[in-house]
Amino acid sequence: VAKTSLTSPPWPEVQLPDPAEEAKYHAEVVQKVNKMIATGQYGRLFAVVHFASKQWKITSEDLIMMDNVLEAECGDRIRMEKVLLVGADDFTLIGRPLLGKDLVRVEATVIEKTESWPKINMRFRKRHNYQRKKIIVNPQTVLRINTIDIFPCLS
Amino acid sequence: MVLLSAPRWLRSRLTDRFWRVQEVLKYARHFRGRKNRCYKLAVRSVRRAFVKSTKARREKKRFLRALWITRIEAASLEHGLKYPAFISNLLKSQVELNRKMIADLAIYEPKTFKSLAALAQRRRQEGFLAALGDGKEPEGVFSRIVHHC
Repeated sequence: VAKTSLTSPPWPEVQLPDPAEEAKYHAEVVQKVNKMIATGQYGRLFAVVHFASKQWKITSEDLIMMDNVLEAECGDRIRMEKVLLVGADDFTLIGRPLLGKDLVRVEATVIEKTESWPKINMRFRKRHNYQRKKIIVNPQTVLRINTIDIFPCLS
Repeated sequence: MVLLSAPRWLRSRLTDRFWRVQEVLKYARHFRGRKNRCYKLAVRSVRRAFVKSTKARREKKRFLRALWITRIEAASLEHGLKYPAFISNLLKSQVELNRKMIADLAIYEPKTFKSLAALAQRRRQEGFLAALGDGKEPEGVFSRIVHHC
């Protein structure tokens, strides 16, 4: 029977690779990355951390300013646990959604706890003699990221 | 003798008018024209400036999100994926990076962004295959489709 425009579907047919071969390839890649981490062949590491309801892309010796209060004194070391992504030059470890605590360790120190500059909130309605002015000062905390460590416990 | 009302020559007069005026003018010093010098014009301009800044603080969030989305769209098109496909497949693969992060990664970590795009593409193909099924007829249905061997 002759082939017409409706014999095959209009989208390109996609073949996924063989699952057994793929599993072998994945195991090889994981072994290689494990070896690289164990021997320490990575340069500067960056991490994406979920902290204070925001996501931050951080490296070591980084400064972070949060717009809220942290219940820790100045000079306390803090470990950030919700790590979403860790990357170096040759490999990245993507968490689904988080990476394990035995895989990554992010340490930070609280440097200063200040207040923000006075922000002015003003409401005004014309011709109705209505205006309200409020000065908002938010507490802020500054953290310095000391180190990002990864351990070779991939499987 | 106790005087209950103050005599007429004792008046309470405003002494810090200068500083009250300066409080308003200090926010108007970088304005253009006479509203950076004259109090009456400055009061109106400063009031409008404060109101606009409060409203802008709420719109900044919308504006920045649209900017991130544009950047992610541009970066994912470089890797052959459209933005809705990229984001939906990334969420289905349980990667919960927000748009700000993905935009920053696309700018500063191109290799990481490429791997995210590959992950989304692979998940997309798996989704299509799961939706298409085996390509067999449903049970109990007889049809005259000719299958090419």
